[in-house]
Amino acid sequence: MNCPRCGKSMITLEIKEVEIDYCLSCHGIWLDNGELELLLRDAKRKEKLLQSFLLTSVPGEKPLKCPVCHKKMLQVMVKKVLLDKCRHGHGLWFDNDELQKILEMGDFDPDNTIKKHLTEIFNNKEAKGE
Amino acid sequence: MWELIQTNRRRSIVLFIGMGLSLLLLGFFIGEAFWGSDGWIAGMSIAFLIWLIMSAVSYFSGDAIVLAMSHAKRVTPEIHPRLFNVVEEMKIAANLPTMPKVYIIPDIAPNAFATGRNPETSSVVVTAGLLEKLDRDELQGVIAHEVSHITNRDILFMTFSAVILGSIVFLSHIFLRSLWFGGGRRSSSRSSSKGGGQLQLIMMLIAILLAVLAPIMAQLLYFAISRKREYLADASAIRLTRYPEGLASALEKIAASDINLESANKATAGLFIVNPLIKKGQRLTALTSTHPPVLERIKILRSIAGGANYADYQRAYSSLKQGTETRTSIIPPSGIQDTKKIELTKPGKREITAESSRRKLDDLIRTLNDFVFLQCTCGLKIKIPPDLKVNNISCPRCGRILEIPLSQLQRIKSRWKADKATNA
Repeated sequence: MNCPRCGKSMITLEIKEVEIDYCLSCHGIWLDNGELELLLRDAKRKEKLLQSFLLTSVPGEKPLKCPVCHKKMLQVMVKKVLLDKCRHGHGLWFDNDELQKILEMGDFDPDNTIKKHLTEIFNNKEAKGE
Repeated sequence: MWELIQTNRRRSIVLFIGMGLSLLLLGFFIGEAFWGSDGWIAGMSIAFLIWLIMSAVSYFSGDAIVLAMSHAKRVTPEIHPRLFNVVEEMKIAANLPTMPKVYIIPDIAPNAFATGRNPETSSVVVTAGLLEKLDRDELQGVIAHEVSHITNRDILFMTFSAVILGSIVFLSHIFLRSLWFGGGRRSSSRSSSKGGGQLQLIMMLIAILLAVLAPIMAQLLYFAISRKREYLADASAIRLTRYPEGLASALEKIAASDINLESANKATAGLFIVNPLIKKGQRLTALTSTHPPVLERIKILRSIAGGANYADYQRAYSSLKQGTETRTSIIPPSGIQDTKKIELTKPGKREITAESSRRKLDDLIRTLNDFVFLQCTCGLKIKIPPDLKVNNISCPRCGRILEIPLSQLQRIKSRWKADKATNA
């Protein structure tokens, strides 16, 4: 799978049975539909979460293309963080700065399962030896 | 079962000639349509040449073509120990002279086939999806069916038909496509002589009709001859495993899948244990007469009682077909006379498929697609695609610098190379 931002091939990171795709050059991440479902443990809860995202559009920014179906993705606003969502439900794209914002803020999704998982990988002080 | 092998040889020759004739016919009309009244000579010579070349090619490397067409990857025991274990078991049970080469197609649709020229040079192919969906008994049933195709000498015939059928489909396709771009010299000859032009127009119509029909006809011929083979391979498989339910429930699972196998096409479809190209509802019904209806095969397998020899299978077949085809014998006479009692095995404990089987399937497909798997000491698993051209990466979790080793597939390939070098 190729990064929607810079087009480079992405690597896959797996921890606790959940995978995310990670771009080594722009440090953005892709959360696949199936993995979202695994994280939230339920297809309905995933749908509910995805539906709760508000559609927006940022003038001047070219929409990214979904790495699965290559169709233009929708820009959504979630708690002041701008994400890209595939219109055919293939998954969610987080740019690196968006990811950092989520890691810093209090709540992201209702039970914070997504945030916890992202913190586990990208902000794990223990693993970094701090 | 010598007579069976003889019959199969004879059928292979019939198919060889039949397919050749339909190629010639196609060549005749395409030639006429393109080059006027003398065009048939050119058309038929080209068709004849193609027939000869394709036959030679499919005899000597048909298996390689079919394997490449279906994107199958040759594997070793470390990639899927259970699959090797089952193939080895069936190889011993069927008394094959050598261990078949084992291939996996990186696709989630469940299916399987066997190919090769003779039992010494055979290959067994399964999809990654099949390995994920079936438990051991079911997998054994499928492998037994494929190994039976090898021992019954079906593989050369099937591979051969796939290659010939492929070239007929290819030819018609080229012809039909070429019509979009002007259609030969039709217009110029029409202006020179009116009668000839009209004749040519008729020829053109026949050529179009044939080009559309030939692939279908060839396919029908192919399936007509291969129908019995499927039943027979089922019967032989039961002799090997002594457990009809394994194969029956495997067929059921394969037929119930509504995922089409991406790498399968019209030419290779007949090789597979269940037609890989038909959508869900159709596959289970007996309406499609081209491929042996799976539902019927399952019913026969489930009604086998008393034993696992050929006579037991024939009895189950006849009782199912009561009235209509009672007299049709699936099994050649020598097989029916083989009344040595083979006890059926009692069903063992069924395995429960693990929850993370989907992850295992994805990882198997990645392994076959040449991904590198890294396990960082911090606990993060990193999967690296083959097109990422770097020597090392820093772990996104703990920041350690990790060297990227060769992928498992590359290591296996270099080992094969080294083995070949030492043998030479």
